[in-house]
Amino acid sequence: MQRLAIPLALCVLCAGCGGSDAPKAKTKTLLIAVNAPFSRTPYLGQTIANGAELAATAITTKDGEYRLRFKRYDTGLSAGEAVANVRRAVADGAVAIIDEGTGLNASWRIAADADVPICVTYQGGEGLVDPTKRPNVFRIAPTDHGTAFRLAEYLVPKKLKIALVIDDSTYGQEGLKSLRRSFAENPEAVAMRLSVPAGAANLAPEVLRARRSHATALLVWGEPGTIAGVVSAARASGWKVPVYTPATGGDPLVRQQLANHPDWVDGLTFATGRPTAEVGPGPFLSFQRLYEERFGVYLVGVKTPDGADVVQPPDLAMYSYDFVNVLSAAIQRAGGVKDGKKVIAALNQVSVPGANGDHRGFNERNHEGVVDDDVYFARFEGMTYQPVKDDPLSRNLTALDQTR
Amino acid sequence: MSVAMRQTVSALALGGRELRGAWSRRATLATIIVGAALVAPAVLPLSGRMPDLAGFVYLAVAAVGLAYAVGLAGIPSLGQGAFLGIGAFAEAIARAKGGWPLLPSLACAVLVTAAAGTLAGLATGRLRGAFVAVSTWILSWIVVLTLTSFPGISGGAQGLVLPQSRLTPTAHYELGIVLLVLAVLAYLVLAPRAPGLALAAARERPQAAVGLGVPVARLRLGAFAASAAIAGLAGALSVELAQIADPSTYGPFLSFKLFVAVVLGGARTPLGPIAGLLVISAFSHLAEQIGSLRGLPPGRVEMMLTGYGLLLVLGLGGAGLVPAAWKWWRRVRPSAPAPAARSTALGEPPSAIANREPLVARGLSKRFQSLLALDDLDLELEPGTIHGLIGPNGSGKTTALRLLAGDLAPDSGTVAVGGQSLDAEPQRERALHGVVGTEQTTGIFPELTVLESALVGAGLRRHYGGALRTLLQTPKARAEAAEAERRAIGALEFVGLAENADRPAGELSAHEQRLLMLASALATEPRALLLDEPAAGASPAELEHLADLLADLRTKGLALLVIEHNLRFVRRVADTVTVLAAGRRIASGTLDAVAEDELVRAAYLGRSRI
Repeated sequence: MQRLAIPLALCVLCAGCGGSDAPKAKTKTLLIAVNAPFSRTPYLGQTIANGAELAATAITTKDGEYRLRFKRYDTGLSAGEAVANVRRAVADGAVAIIDEGTGLNASWRIAADADVPICVTYQGGEGLVDPTKRPNVFRIAPTDHGTAFRLAEYLVPKKLKIALVIDDSTYGQEGLKSLRRSFAENPEAVAMRLSVPAGAANLAPEVLRARRSHATALLVWGEPGTIAGVVSAARASGWKVPVYTPATGGDPLVRQQLANHPDWVDGLTFATGRPTAEVGPGPFLSFQRLYEERFGVYLVGVKTPDGADVVQPPDLAMYSYDFVNVLSAAIQRAGGVKDGKKVIAALNQVSVPGANGDHRGFNERNHEGVVDDDVYFARFEGMTYQPVKDDPLSRNLTALDQTR
Repeated sequence: MSVAMRQTVSALALGGRELRGAWSRRATLATIIVGAALVAPAVLPLSGRMPDLAGFVYLAVAAVGLAYAVGLAGIPSLGQGAFLGIGAFAEAIARAKGGWPLLPSLACAVLVTAAAGTLAGLATGRLRGAFVAVSTWILSWIVVLTLTSFPGISGGAQGLVLPQSRLTPTAHYELGIVLLVLAVLAYLVLAPRAPGLALAAARERPQAAVGLGVPVARLRLGAFAASAAIAGLAGALSVELAQIADPSTYGPFLSFKLFVAVVLGGARTPLGPIAGLLVISAFSHLAEQIGSLRGLPPGRVEMMLTGYGLLLVLGLGGAGLVPAAWKWWRRVRPSAPAPAARSTALGEPPSAIANREPLVARGLSKRFQSLLALDDLDLELEPGTIHGLIGPNGSGKTTALRLLAGDLAPDSGTVAVGGQSLDAEPQRERALHGVVGTEQTTGIFPELTVLESALVGAGLRRHYGGALRTLLQTPKARAEAAEAERRAIGALEFVGLAENADRPAGELSAHEQRLLMLASALATEPRALLLDEPAAGASPAELEHLADLLADLRTKGLALLVIEHNLRFVRRVADTVTVLAAGRRIASGTLDAVAEDELVRAAYLGRSRI
């Protein structure tokens, strides 16, 4: 009996020491999946993931305190892999998925079955977002529809004969649908339409065909490699045709692939979401500083004619950054993450200041976080780009510093 | 109870008794493993991983399917990924665009892939080795390029989205395990039986196999189409699982990965591809770790590791990991040799088919470009006689034998048995008519056992030995298999090789290998046996033995044509001889009579006597 008494007393002592009147609040971890092509287009994947990781890292709700954890899933730009990743993310217990957009036509259902919201932060394909049919799908990125219409609006008055060069990537094929619609009322502006394989080593034959169609401009909608390939083939053949692209034209890969011929990049014009808003460049510059403090600058690997290193502004990163902040607000509003449906419903009711100073938010009828008109044009000169002066929206935007 | 019912019950009872009799520790272990795999989702926290596991199992089904082509038939196919893709897109199109229900669309996918496999098999059927690999590799490119070039059909880079399926990932996993077990069992049933042995013979020595009446082209085509159909089924089910058919998934790398899995694990065993895929999955995980540590793309590291793994296996002999592990296990834990399962098979001496008619050749001629190899040969092989065909090197003897056996088509002339022309009949049909030739080189199948080699010949007379009946082990197929085994053992006993029945044929001496070749030919129940230099390299004692055997065959009523340089041997066995020189018959009759012929002496320049 004596032998039992000592351990018993020790146990009572320990129990007394460990207890307290109020239970200590435990921080729970929420997983947010980033489903992006990290291996195929590393810049894009990294930028999306970095933007997300830069946003809110902790959320306090009445349900408790949450810390956000981000996990990267590589799609390799394969729709099948992207869908499998969403399945894995759901299995891993992700509360939300930040998605580049590939494979979304199938993956949204898997997330919907688990009441997990998906936010597209890159692809702008029509039909990807539909609040009625796909209530769990949101987007914070310029839509293809908006980009294509802005391009048509910009190019048609110039009386150009445009050769549309589309690659067979998801991005290219989705863009084609929007281009068809945007140029439907001005078919005379289109000299020809060419489909090219994404990642093809030599596009000289296709560019030659475009030249023979008497095109006076090229509109290339595809992956950065395709754009670099088309520019390279055109310039190598001595064809000084103006080249227009969607946002992929601003990808560092284009300049990296054309680094040996900086003059070939000059004049390349791309349409993309504007990084600054009516309030001026202040919010974006703050975001950029924050981003660069955390992740450093992204050196493109090319120099300006003056010999300065060219850096890439983190404009793409602001979309994933904005979504995480919107999500945090929605989780707070929903009072936690126990019920995914409540979080999705709350996403329709909150808005937050975005990285560029605009307000980001959704509602029951509109899951697009970037309005179609928020697309501006930038033109390369000396390996950096500036807003064009011949477009009313672009003309008033401040040029971002891109050198170090 | 009806007669059919009674027969079924009795067959099932017999099957049960045989199963109990043949049950082994390995069977118990396999049952436990399969049972554990089936109940794993219910007892382990795997729900989140079920889609990946089910996807792996479907890939394993396709890999085992590929082993049918690579391992059983020896076709180095690098196009299995293409067949997976064809099955996947046939399923996706039927479901997403046609609105078909699950089962009809699966059946459609399997049929479409089998048809594609048949077409590809026909196109590559005449090719060998590296050329087959290259053409199937091109096929895998063609399929993915076709799919990406027609986005309206394939959904392009976004893929085709399938309607939601009622099958959960766990149901897919269980279904995949069942299919995998069936694919493995089918391989295990087929490989040691008639279709598998015929394919093995065709794989090792196609010419010798054709000589024994094996329908090499048909069997290889069947194996290739079956392999494709299995891949098609796996592809169709895997898109049902993924809910999306994405053209980029079925690129040439998938074909490469499946081929590597088969070679890495071992193509001659159905467990090899599964082991190979497990190793590649381990490479994939390792690549992710290395990639994240070193900042490298995981895909590139995975390909690199897979390539090193393949090189290692090839460097170690190419048999694969499972056979190597088995060999090591047998060395560490040697077991007593299992008694041969032939208790009911009593050998019967070979008997010629009803044989009263001679094999007659008239005016046979053959020219190879400018060389007239055989010119207007007349020959008559009477039942119960041995005819020697002699002549100097290059005189046309082997050409004559090949023309008689149907291995070569004559430029002119006819071959007939009992008045029935064999001119239009290929080698297998002539073998069915009882005209069988052996090769000049030792045409044995080194990786088959002695008994299996003889069974290849005995398979010629089987009517119920096809793959389906063999798989189902129908009573007729079983009865016929037992009969074929009796015939094969009888042939081996006749030549004196029954004691070596379980030895690999490659381990026999040169003379024994020639005897085995003779036994395999005898197992086909020939009426006319055409032997090309059966005594080459034999010792005097072996020559005596061979001469006695031929004499025995003569008394059984066989017609024998013996091509031989050893004239002592010819004198010992032949009743009549034909002498050829420069493609022409220069003499015919008894050896003593032709030996006196001046032309014959001149042909055998330097010999005063022949």
